[in-house]
Amino acid sequence: MMQKVMINAPLNRVEGDLEIRTEVDGGRVSDAWCSGTMYRGFEKILAGRGPLDGLVITPRICGICTTSHLTAAVKALDMIAGVFPPPNAVRIRNLTLMAEHIQSDMRHAFLMFAADLVNPAYRDVPLFDEAVRRYQPFKGETVIETIKETKKVLEIIAIVGGEWPHSSYMVPGGIVSNPASGDLMECLLLLKQYRSWYEKRILGCSLERWLDVRSSSDIDVWLEENNLHRESDLGFYIRFAREIGLDRIGRGHGNFISYGSLDIPEGTKVKGKGKHLVASGFAQGIKVTDFSHEKILEHVSHSWFMDYNGGRHPFNGETIPYASGRESGKYSWAKSPRYDALPAETGPLAEMITAENPLFTDLVSRTGPSAFTRELARISRPAYLMPAMEAWILESVSDGKFYTSPEEIIEGKGYGVTQASRGALGHWVQIENGAITHYQIITPTAWNASPRDSNGTRGPLEEALIGTEIKDPSNPVELGHVVRSFDCCLVCTVHTVNRGKEIGRVKVGAAIL
Amino acid sequence: MSINTRTLYWLQSGGCGGDTMSLLGLESPDIMEILKLLNVEFLWHPSLSNGSPSKHRSLIEAILSGKQPLDILCVEGAVIRGPGGTGMYETIEGKPKKDLIAGLAKQAKVVLAVGTCASFGGIVSAGEVEGTGLQFYKDKKGGFLGETFKSRSGLPVINLPGCPCASEAVSGVLTAFISDVSLPLNEYNSPLQWYGLLVHQGCTRNEYHEYRVEDNDFGKKGCLFFHMGCRGPLTYAPCNKMLKNRRSSKTRVGVPCIGCAQPVFPASEPFFQTPNIADIPLELPAGVDRAHYMAYKGMAAAAAPERLKNRETMI
Repeated sequence: MMQKVMINAPLNRVEGDLEIRTEVDGGRVSDAWCSGTMYRGFEKILAGRGPLDGLVITPRICGICTTSHLTAAVKALDMIAGVFPPPNAVRIRNLTLMAEHIQSDMRHAFLMFAADLVNPAYRDVPLFDEAVRRYQPFKGETVIETIKETKKVLEIIAIVGGEWPHSSYMVPGGIVSNPASGDLMECLLLLKQYRSWYEKRILGCSLERWLDVRSSSDIDVWLEENNLHRESDLGFYIRFAREIGLDRIGRGHGNFISYGSLDIPEGTKVKGKGKHLVASGFAQGIKVTDFSHEKILEHVSHSWFMDYNGGRHPFNGETIPYASGRESGKYSWAKSPRYDALPAETGPLAEMITAENPLFTDLVSRTGPSAFTRELARISRPAYLMPAMEAWILESVSDGKFYTSPEEIIEGKGYGVTQASRGALGHWVQIENGAITHYQIITPTAWNASPRDSNGTRGPLEEALIGTEIKDPSNPVELGHVVRSFDCCLVCTVHTVNRGKEIGRVKVGAAIL
Repeated sequence: MSINTRTLYWLQSGGCGGDTMSLLGLESPDIMEILKLLNVEFLWHPSLSNGSPSKHRSLIEAILSGKQPLDILCVEGAVIRGPGGTGMYETIEGKPKKDLIAGLAKQAKVVLAVGTCASFGGIVSAGEVEGTGLQFYKDKKGGFLGETFKSRSGLPVINLPGCPCASEAVSGVLTAFISDVSLPLNEYNSPLQWYGLLVHQGCTRNEYHEYRVEDNDFGKKGCLFFHMGCRGPLTYAPCNKMLKNRRSSKTRVGVPCIGCAQPVFPASEPFFQTPNIADIPLELPAGVDRAHYMAYKGMAAAAAPERLKNRETMI
């Protein structure tokens, strides 16, 4: 008879914010529960405040997605004010959001995800010593380089936005700053420096060469092509991950969501998909359909909030905390967002799938998603973003127009959706008599790390854990790989919602550090 | 670990992790170099350590029982006490996180509140989760640990506010502690070195302020104090001396200071507008007399040179 044991894993890479409980049957995970363990109440904080206050309050939901929250907040206000930022303001907003992404992707991959590759569980793997040399926490060569380089690229945000994290430099109608051409040239240098490091250290080849990898078999060709590819951090990751079987764990539902992000400014030479550089869409497997925010509903049946029936659209959402312990069947401070009643994962892989990227479409069509593929998408994403960043810096040195003054915001309803570094992020806002009356936020971690919904369907991360083989219950490193492949920004699960409440973060992996 | 190694535990509670992000931005030397130079070992950092849950559990037990000495406790984020004082809005393995904070604080030689949330409660204190700072609730002494709390070295909690806090303040305090150098503190137990000057000092818009050349919309070069809600002349923090990410600051690029290092942050008034009477802000720069200020600003505006009035001067 199979023995069932429970493994409780507070996967701390973010202190205590996400705890995973799993039931293990015959050495494999047979069920899983993912709990956000912190509620901060952002929604109530926002309700009643001034119309622009989301620009200050919401970046502080998450110290690593701070520019993403600012982007969502300002887009909601642009909509309410009925104002269109000048094209150069769109370029600079995009530039800073992308700078945040390309630092987050490297920090997550090499400070947080890779820390599990040097877990003692792998001490007999032939590549282990090399992994330690690269990824040992606080000391590994790649760890140290990643810290040095990522802080430099963030200077781009400080030059045009004053600081990172937590600037409020985007305002309805554009941005507050007027980056002069000298400022933009400094941004360009910082970007070139980061790109040069990324190509040399991370890829071991040019961006163009990696972007030419379009299928699973192309990966093998690329790996064999030369030693620089094999020994780069990307090449090493692919070899190590295959060795320990990351491509065989973490499958999940196979549904993907991207809200779309990085608006294409008027007059640019950068080509996007529709209105965005990062495509919007919803996919089941690799079948992509159009995204509409109206199909999003949030459930609270298993979340520590007062119950309502079924799901609610964020314009009608409510968040009334109800700390009932586990007796009621509730077990998380995260709500359960669903799209067309389905759970969906979000993040770099979801962006690749909804954009019908050939490499990731091929990988997912063969085996479904996996921990390996999710992290591969994250490590690859800067290669897709940096050419557009460079183009937008250069194009911004033109007319010096970065702001269109809007009418004072007295009332209205609007939403701002974008892609944060770890996936789909939206703010839904209502303003009446010059004050916020409703503010609801759905974070990427709410999508990925949600608990069960009112139909009893598991959240994406919970589902992805099912079937995972656990070799040593006292050191369940396999759970860590799967959870961290979602890059749960813990703090991110903040559910901020209507009248101020909010939420939880997950403790794993994340980025939030 | 050698006998001279100092141990550090970094705890994240009701916050956003932004102070850790700020710490990773330190330069010359950077955080990894600083740890080596000061011979400080992270027993735990939630984002950067990779110990298993069981290893972390035994570390906590060892610290709480006194078997594992703890030199430095850094707390990032507010203490969440709700609902109704139970602490169940933030738990770790089912137990209130606040209890862990209290236990660790008792063992530590020195306790640093990193950021405004840990110092005074910050954003989280504005909500319903009963958030507070470690030894202050907003500008009132007491907070979570109480007015009389002293860490094992006899010091109160050292507050390093800012949202995020200037990472140079963290490295500076660590260096002073390791070197046995004492730092003079202000009334909020923050070192004067970093909290004895105003955000206004060093702002590149200072000349516009001086001559009262003011703006009432975003995207301009003038002073942001009179209409745009800038709290730079009221907020003690080194933002315009130790530039953010070594590059700039909010006020330099045109974001009015929101007073994020103030004990009362976030103020209840809307951001980005200045409550005023007769065009003079209700709250004047720290320590300034109203009648004299009105007379001075009237004359200063009259004396303003054309290059400022025409916004010709770069900022």
